[in-house]
Amino acid sequence: MAMTARQRARVSLYVQAGIFVVAMAALILATDWKTVTDNVFNFGKIGPMFPDIILIGLKNTLIYTFLGFIVGLSGGLLLALMKLSTFPLYRWIATGYIEFFRGIPALLVFIAFGYGVPLAFGVQWSVTVVVMVSLGMVAAAYIAETLRAGLQAVPKGQMEAARSLGMPMWRSMVTIVIPQAFRIVLPPLTNEVILLTKDSSLIYVLGLTASQYELTKFGRDGISSLGAGLTPLLVAGAFYLVVTIPLSLLARKFESRSARTKR
Amino acid sequence: MNDVVIPSRNHTGPVHAAGVSIKDLRKSYGSNEVLKGISLDVAPGAVVCLIGPSGSGKSTLLRCVNLLEQPNEGTIHVGGFEATDLDVDIDKMRRKVGMVFQQFNLFPHLNALRNCTIAQTKVLKRSQAAADKVAQANLDRVGLGHLADRFPDQLSGGQQQRVAIARALSMDPELMLFDEPTSALDPETVGDVLSVMRNLAKEGMTMLVVTHEMGFAREVADRVVFMDGGVVVEEGVAERVISNPTQGRTKEFLKRVLDPTHIEISE
Repeated sequence: MAMTARQRARVSLYVQAGIFVVAMAALILATDWKTVTDNVFNFGKIGPMFPDIILIGLKNTLIYTFLGFIVGLSGGLLLALMKLSTFPLYRWIATGYIEFFRGIPALLVFIAFGYGVPLAFGVQWSVTVVVMVSLGMVAAAYIAETLRAGLQAVPKGQMEAARSLGMPMWRSMVTIVIPQAFRIVLPPLTNEVILLTKDSSLIYVLGLTASQYELTKFGRDGISSLGAGLTPLLVAGAFYLVVTIPLSLLARKFESRSARTKR
Repeated sequence: MNDVVIPSRNHTGPVHAAGVSIKDLRKSYGSNEVLKGISLDVAPGAVVCLIGPSGSGKSTLLRCVNLLEQPNEGTIHVGGFEATDLDVDIDKMRRKVGMVFQQFNLFPHLNALRNCTIAQTKVLKRSQAAADKVAQANLDRVGLGHLADRFPDQLSGGQQQRVAIARALSMDPELMLFDEPTSALDPETVGDVLSVMRNLAKEGMTMLVVTHEMGFAREVADRVVFMDGGVVVEEGVAERVISNPTQGRTKEFLKRVLDPTHIEISE
């Protein structure tokens, strides 16, 4: 009783669906729902988190992300241009920077700028500055590579056309090449913002005052103060999604738009 | 055939046209020498067509004139500038030299009008209003005044190339370089571009044109220069070179270009 290819494919699909259903059922039966409800889905007790988790936490997460992105974007553009420079020293510096900051955990950068730099240089940076610098310097490394690819994706003829009209090098870059590069990298750049949004949580390693709390810190605080188990973290996670999912959709929209037209 | 001054025709209309004088120009990429000592003079207001097989160095020669390629040896004078002088103000010189590319190279993020105004405002420091006026006049000149607000991707290849010509003209150049301006076009749009170029020649613009359009060269050019293997093989009055070439390589090339379906049977 040989089966045709189509029959085999259908049977295979049924088997896979069956395995999935059995696994889910086993998971549901094995779960201690009382404990789960008390510790993860205990939404009755999270009232005190509001409205501060939105007014302070979400607001601070957005501010930290924005500041980090501004530093990252400016630094990234500078590094990308250095990496494409004809002057070897610039290329080496940019390459060294990018490899270093992409290669170490962002958490270490936060610790370095939060504790190391104040100790070493006797300066006391505010939390905002630490976030801006730490997040920005890590982001710059990633954004630099994205922008470099974007700048290289602009056809060489664009620069030649601009130069042949008498525009100096930097003017051609600023007016003609960089605007086109940004259009090309808009989707990956949006993804960088998503990564930054999540990385802004690393600020928890620093001592924060209540008004400096961001989403994750609110979640962690809630765990110890509300007696609702991990539920506050679930709430904090939900707020991250409120930010990141629209950004994801935005990136996809940019992508389909740039696929349609080069404008 | 070196140092032949190519004479200008009698032109009407006041145009500041610049001449070009190229002497013993050499250009290599690594060990590959693509220009092996080229000398060529173009009088103000003259139209010269560069023809020859691909890889003959004609595009490289053209790109040396506005320094998109840096020559290794020799001199180029353009208008009042010595392009090969290391201290030359490249950007100032390029303002006088318009360039039209095979691939148009319009700026895709700007509409046709802005393509024609961006360098005027940023380089010549014209006001936006003044630049708009010049741009609109030049778009009208190439027959596309009504499409000034279109973006490049909304224009056909031939229309894009005419906008590219208007863009170059908006800088009031004294010399126009054309690098195979019709090679990337659909056959039905070639004529529009050539007729714009023909008008430009009539107005007395100095033009250096790399082209495979023999009909255009014969009709519009004062002189035709045939290049092969990085040297000028033959040059002279357009009609004479195309109809009656004296050099074997020129004859062979023209036969292939003018009658591409002709099959030579050799053993």
